[in-house]
Amino acid sequence: MSVRTASLAGAAALVLGAAACSSSGSSSNNTSASSSPSIGAISAAPVKSGGSITVLEGKGFSGDWPFGLDPATNTDGSADQDYMTAVFGQLFELGGSGQIQPDLATSYAFSNGAKTITINLRQGVKFSDGTPFNAAAVVWNWERDFGPLAVKAGIAPEWVIARSNPKNPNSAPAASAIKATGPYTVQVNLLAPDGGFINQLFDTIPMWIASPTAVQKEGETKFAQYPVGAGPFTVVSDSYSDQIVVKKNPLYWQPGRPYLQSITFKSVSGDEAAYEAMLAGQGQVYEDMSTTQLLDEAAKQPSIQELNELGTSPYDLQLNTAVAPFNNPKAREAIYAATNFTPILQHIFGNRYPVTESFTGPGGICYEPTVPGYQGYNPTLAKQLIASTGLDKVTFQLGTINSSPVAIDTTEALRTEWEALGMKVTIASWNLTELIAAFEANHGKSWQSMIQTAGAFDPSSGVGVGFRFDSLSPFSGVHDPKLDTLLNEAEAPTNLAARCSYYNQAAEYIAKNYYGPFYFTFSPANLSVKGIGGPGLTAALPAVAVAPTIPWEDVYYNPSS
Amino acid sequence: MALVQQVQLQSAPGAGNRARRAAGSPALRLVGRRLLAAIPVLWGVTFLTYVVMSALPNDTAQAALGLKATPAQVAALNHALGLDQPFWVRYWRWLVQVLHGNLGTSITGQSVNSELAQHLPTTLILLAYALVVSLLLAIIVAVLAARRPNGIADRISLAISMLGLSIAPYVLAFILIIVFAVKLGWFPVVSGSLGNTPLSYFKALTLPAASIGFPLFAVYTRLLRADLVEQMQREDYITTAKAKGVSPWRVLIKHALRNSMFTLITVVGLNLGTLVGAAAIIETLFSVPGIGYFLLNSISNHDVPTIEGIVLVFALITVLGNLLADLAYAVLDPRIRYGSTTS
Amino acid sequence: MAAPLPEPALASVLAPQSPPGLPSLVTSRQLRSQRLGRALRLWIPAGVLIFLLAMCFLWPLVYQLPSPTNGDILVASEPPFSPGHILGTDQVGVDIFSQIVYGGQEAFEVAIATTIIGLVVGSAIGITAGYFGRWVDAVLSRVLDVLIAFPALVLALVIAQGLGPSKFHLILALSAFAIPTVGRVTRGSTLVLRSQPFMTAARLAGTRGWRIIVRHIVPNIMPTLVTFSLLGIGILIILEGALDYLGYGTPPPNPSWGNMIATGQTVMTAQPEYVLIPSIFLLVTVIALNMLGDALRERWGVQ
Repeated sequence: MSVRTASLAGAAALVLGAAACSSSGSSSNNTSASSSPSIGAISAAPVKSGGSITVLEGKGFSGDWPFGLDPATNTDGSADQDYMTAVFGQLFELGGSGQIQPDLATSYAFSNGAKTITINLRQGVKFSDGTPFNAAAVVWNWERDFGPLAVKAGIAPEWVIARSNPKNPNSAPAASAIKATGPYTVQVNLLAPDGGFINQLFDTIPMWIASPTAVQKEGETKFAQYPVGAGPFTVVSDSYSDQIVVKKNPLYWQPGRPYLQSITFKSVSGDEAAYEAMLAGQGQVYEDMSTTQLLDEAAKQPSIQELNELGTSPYDLQLNTAVAPFNNPKAREAIYAATNFTPILQHIFGNRYPVTESFTGPGGICYEPTVPGYQGYNPTLAKQLIASTGLDKVTFQLGTINSSPVAIDTTEALRTEWEALGMKVTIASWNLTELIAAFEANHGKSWQSMIQTAGAFDPSSGVGVGFRFDSLSPFSGVHDPKLDTLLNEAEAPTNLAARCSYYNQAAEYIAKNYYGPFYFTFSPANLSVKGIGGPGLTAALPAVAVAPTIPWEDVYYNPSS
Repeated sequence: MALVQQVQLQSAPGAGNRARRAAGSPALRLVGRRLLAAIPVLWGVTFLTYVVMSALPNDTAQAALGLKATPAQVAALNHALGLDQPFWVRYWRWLVQVLHGNLGTSITGQSVNSELAQHLPTTLILLAYALVVSLLLAIIVAVLAARRPNGIADRISLAISMLGLSIAPYVLAFILIIVFAVKLGWFPVVSGSLGNTPLSYFKALTLPAASIGFPLFAVYTRLLRADLVEQMQREDYITTAKAKGVSPWRVLIKHALRNSMFTLITVVGLNLGTLVGAAAIIETLFSVPGIGYFLLNSISNHDVPTIEGIVLVFALITVLGNLLADLAYAVLDPRIRYGSTTS
Repeated sequence: MAAPLPEPALASVLAPQSPPGLPSLVTSRQLRSQRLGRALRLWIPAGVLIFLLAMCFLWPLVYQLPSPTNGDILVASEPPFSPGHILGTDQVGVDIFSQIVYGGQEAFEVAIATTIIGLVVGSAIGITAGYFGRWVDAVLSRVLDVLIAFPALVLALVIAQGLGPSKFHLILALSAFAIPTVGRVTRGSTLVLRSQPFMTAARLAGTRGWRIIVRHIVPNIMPTLVTFSLLGIGILIILEGALDYLGYGTPPPNPSWGNMIATGQTVMTAQPEYVLIPSIFLLVTVIALNMLGDALRERWGVQ
């Protein structure tokens, strides 16, 4: 039974100070147990069934779905999690304290040294087209997720499983890898232990189970536009990268849910447009607002409530160790010493976000805000190193994604600080496609430094550590087998304490080699109008990949209150 | 071509006399000649489009194969798609393809034709909305202004049109949003899918159309007013009409306005090309899912096939607009239709 | 961009004053106020423009302005009239007035450079077409038609995107639009002039082609070109602002009015001054240019 701490939170810790103040003094400073970040919540209206809302989605991230919503082909799947979750639901849900909760699946078990994962599905569930939701359907989906379409799109899961053609790592899974061991039991057999397997499912394509009958009947093109799943809502209309209207799924398994009758997801150009729309009453929810000035402004609006989620994605500065100037560890150390992030955090971000020195955030597991051996701000040392490495003689480029004002402001502020110390920096910002191209140009030898986020709820998943620090990732500036080993070892155990110990070692190793400074954990803020209630909107959830996954079946709108 | 003669007429001394020079040919021959003259322009436009597009880095193959493709695979696909052929071969292939009506496939997999079919109508409606309203308002205001040159109505119209000419559409847009959408709530902030009912559709398009239309209104008002005033003061037939005792309003509307419409039509036709450019920015600002917004998206995604297709369509629209303006002028002007008698 | 661009027909559009009409009885007081009005309409916009140009180009030479690209984070988001920052600072601490001044430099430089290129190349094409006529005219006219048919903004975007944003590429892209527009105007004017009696006289007298062009045609089309160019500069500034606004013009951190407007719009409800300040400067500049063009046309009797 999925538990929601939705509405009436007693201790209504109103947002603005919550994240910054509470996380810096939070209890999650220990590294042994799983972090229990202080749960932020705001007082919400009483639950009410029925009604419709408009959810605004920002372009450049969730507001674009040019590839449709088929899990196996949607390259923007993890950004589009709102619609995917609304239509397909989730197997498991991430609760406010980081606990894994049942939804379409009821339980899981590790065995065989964390190499076998058995998942029990909920019984009696139907897809919205009436066909049964069972192990066969799940297996069909997961095998399809490894198919040519997903591989081409680069979104196939990274499970280490036996392949039908051992020589081709992109071939279909072997029969033994994914199988139904009962009408409602699915088993995955990995070749290497993975204690983070379930965590890694969140916001990735295996989480979203499509109706096999519908895919085969409609054909892939139509299915991408009108997907069919077992989630709380079904698609009424879908205009790519523009608007999706969904309505309540009458066959949804949970009685009394979803609360809402229908949701309209509408793409808007950005934070400002969303805020204006909310002020004008044309939107009720906007996730992921990052513009500090608008957040301050929204806090003053009595009709709008603001919830800071529990951040799990620290901003880090990636330094490309494959090319000059940052192939020189002393040059990298200079960058560490040259950056004073406290004033940036204070003056630009209004101390909204907690500082961190590793790839973990207060919302995720193994949170470690300070790392032993981390080189902090030291302008004298910086000047020395800059002179001795000749860093003031070259001009290097600092890049980032252009859809994030936080990222852009950060690059500007860093550039100012560094140039004051004599370095010469050019700034570049790109959209997602160009960013990928910038990383991959010249076999990864073009870019020099990037501001990105590194880290996720579970560092082994999604845009976690590996994504930025693994030698095999095209988006990583580090090629260090020792770090690879550490990260692999951290993934294996099922015992959280053991995993955290490895991650702490990894963070120290990164600091020791000056692979990339971390700055602060970005905590996304979700705005909603008064009367809206639900997890992720009035009760904080840990962010999975930058933003938390909102279970739309538990969201309601009670405007009269 | 009519344009040049227009300039001729209005620049030459005694230009109040709107007679045309060597226009002795009957309408049909003129139409035929215009059409013939348009063909090399059309071809030139396709050629220029392709030349410019070729200068762009084309990573269609890379995009098609995805992130994990090896350079060898990318090169192979490039070869299969014919992207490594010399320029003329590629141009010829593309031209043939276009002449068959196929504008290619975008990197998202959809055909450019279908994407155009989805988005172009929205833009055309938006532009039509802007054009029609601005024309109507311009006519009304210009007539009021020309009735008494240098009078109050005239001065006000000049001031407003000066503002319209000088304000950037992207500045006007956000002023309109703040005032009419946020503060007054009359129109949606985000136009998005434009709504299901005709009313909500037009409500969603009103602010974007106003952003495009206000500068248009300014230009048309000025043009029309200048033309009307000039006619009222120079043309013989006007003096005759006045002498006969026809009321000044009637003279203005029935006679002068009719003649001025030609100039206006010409200008409107010529405008089409610029309008699509303006539409791109406005559509992005308001999230109107039209072809301009879509083009900007394609440009930032390096989606070269789509860019080629859309730019070609834009250019064709412009050429057609010019052509139609020319033809309309040629066909409607009775002096041309029946042959000119003055020189 | 602001308006469908000054096609040659439109060149005559923007004459606010009626051509001298039938003689009428005008008192000397009315005459004086008319003259005063005309003078004001010329000198006020001229004055504003001179002030803006001085502010953008001369003031930085006299007075040390804070850097327009590097800010001090400690003074981020200061409101206008703060000490040391007369128009305030933006969210990373860069002085806004500096950004206006240097952005203005960039706006004027790009617009004027493009106009000059347009004038030189465009009128060369236009005069050649108009003067020599026949097949030369036919070919050149088609070329101009093709260039004009290309939607200006799109062309500029594609060039800027393909070649990468930079001031030079910006000028290049905008010239592609300026040249055919000027070309058409000069061609039209040349055609008109060519059939004038004095031209025939010159030819009969045996004056050579190029001499005719230089001594007769150019001076006669000059007023049209000048007034036309002033309008053109205004439009180019707006067009260039549009490209900057979209991110395809001047690359950051170099300041430009379009960039400022784009960034300002992202925090408009919270801090409207970020978007209002560059917008007002943009508006005032273009109004001044347009009014000056009008007034000059009126003074020189250009039709």
